[in-house]
Amino acid sequence: MSDGRIVVSGLTKQYRTVTAVDDLSFTVEPGRVTGFLGPNGAGKTTSLRMLLDLVVPTSGTATIGGHRYVDLPEPTRVVGAVLEASAAHAGRTGRNHLRANCIAAGLPLSRADEVLELVGLTPAADRKFKGYSLGMRQRLGIAAAMLGDPAVLVLDEPANGLDPEGIRWMRELLRGLAAEGRTVLVSSHLLNEMQALADDVVIVAAGRLVRQGPVADVVSSLSDGDHVEVFTPEPEKLRAALQGLGASVTADGGGSLAVAGVTAAVIGRAAHAADVVLHQLRTEHPDLEEVFLQLTHGKAAIR
Amino acid sequence: MMRLIRAELFKLRTTNTWWLFAVATVVSTTVVLVVNCVNAHALLGTLDQYLTAHSHGNAVADMPPEFLARLTAEWTSGHDVVTQAATIFTSGQLIGVLLACLLGIVLITGEYHHQTATTTFVLTPRRTVVVASKLVTAIFVAALSWVVSTVISLVAGVAFLSNQGYSSQLDHWSVVRAVLLNLAAYALWAVFGIGLGAVIRSQLAATVTATVLYLAGTAAAASFFELINTYVIKHDWVLTAQVIVPSVASAVMVSPAKTFTESPSQWVGAAVLIGYGIAAGPIGMLLLRRRDVA
Repeated sequence: MSDGRIVVSGLTKQYRTVTAVDDLSFTVEPGRVTGFLGPNGAGKTTSLRMLLDLVVPTSGTATIGGHRYVDLPEPTRVVGAVLEASAAHAGRTGRNHLRANCIAAGLPLSRADEVLELVGLTPAADRKFKGYSLGMRQRLGIAAAMLGDPAVLVLDEPANGLDPEGIRWMRELLRGLAAEGRTVLVSSHLLNEMQALADDVVIVAAGRLVRQGPVADVVSSLSDGDHVEVFTPEPEKLRAALQGLGASVTADGGGSLAVAGVTAAVIGRAAHAADVVLHQLRTEHPDLEEVFLQLTHGKAAIR
Repeated sequence: MMRLIRAELFKLRTTNTWWLFAVATVVSTTVVLVVNCVNAHALLGTLDQYLTAHSHGNAVADMPPEFLARLTAEWTSGHDVVTQAATIFTSGQLIGVLLACLLGIVLITGEYHHQTATTTFVLTPRRTVVVASKLVTAIFVAALSWVVSTVISLVAGVAFLSNQGYSSQLDHWSVVRAVLLNLAAYALWAVFGIGLGAVIRSQLAATVTATVLYLAGTAAAASFFELINTYVIKHDWVLTAQVIVPSVASAVMVSPAKTFTESPSQWVGAAVLIGYGIAAGPIGMLLLRRRDVA
């Protein structure tokens, strides 16, 4: 499989009054799932479209394995893209849609049946596209992207319209594809889903890069790490017991304390020693959503 | 390129487009053919018969002189079996070239209508190749439709002529030329369709525009140029200039007889139409190359 590293460098798209993408640079590594995150209107879709030479950048470049998309001799065998859920002729069957793509890409027609099997759409293959649910359309889009067995997958909001089972199916599919060494770049605004799926994240807001890196690094870089939520009828007594253990305690009122700097085990032991009753003791991990909102706060989605 | 042409043909085959076009081609050819044969039957008779047929039961002698003069002129220019044969054998043209144009429109606007432009250009990022294969596909399918309507017209037309006591007339070059130029008209209108579809991306708007331009274009051009001739520039060449309207040009190109009194010779119509084709193809290509697909 050829080197499928995506390199975006100084990418800019200026519309008449709006700079949709503003000097954006990031890289996407093979063998990993990279989440491309940002509020609505952050320039995610425009960036992906520039990567695929559908939109001409005002300046900057985007390359796949060192080549511009338009320069790839057989693009379908290098890159598979899922950009729009509804992207087939309403009156054509799913199988014929894929077959038309096979013919255009010079692939054997049997690939259509193989990818239908891969996405679990075989039973609906001979139904017309207009009868497909949103979830089935997403699966057909993914099937079309997989026709050329590409080293790179680019997906724009692929979880839209999928039910919980569909989302889990897609997560496993994309993780599996990355494990085979493929590059998987997937845009989304479903942050919990991204935390479960992505290895790396690229966060953009208002057309600019905000943060890039492995999910864990990005999350920990902005938060003080875990903290423990404690609920007790005797908050002041517990606060006193935790003095001198290196804990920073914040009272949330109503007997609830947020404790940082020590583990739940240390708090439990201290409470036991001080004879304080605990009703709840829960470790809170910082999550992507919190960090994301912190990073993109105040960067208006509607410009 | 071959792959893309095959893919385009496959796409046409796998929706209802192809049989809608097939039915429209056969039906429109048949209707126009019947009308043309009835006209030919009248024009190939004697002048007296022709006048009687148009007198609606009144005596020919009672006709207003202008009406009589017009009917006589009609009969004189149409009373020629070669002209009638050419008209009958090209019966498919009247609606057929419009269908060819609509086909070109559908090939381009369908991509936007069904939001498949993204998929198409991701599959083939070199857009020139995409548009070129659509041009070839449109011309190819238009040619097929010409074959169908020509076969129908030839079979029925030869039968009609022999029934009227004439030979097939296919040994006359002007008849064969009319049939071949008709093919060129189909191809050129298909190319217009591609260009028009690129300019007007809405399928509905492009289809309506093409149909109105084609069907009303000839009549509108006639009155417009007539007005200019009467009030502004009082020269006959103004009336001849109607040929710059595409639908007039294609009628002039195919008809061996004059389509209107000041009509120029066939090659002028052909030149105008080819000029439009040469302009429409590249304009469509340029637009689609430069436009962002979003």
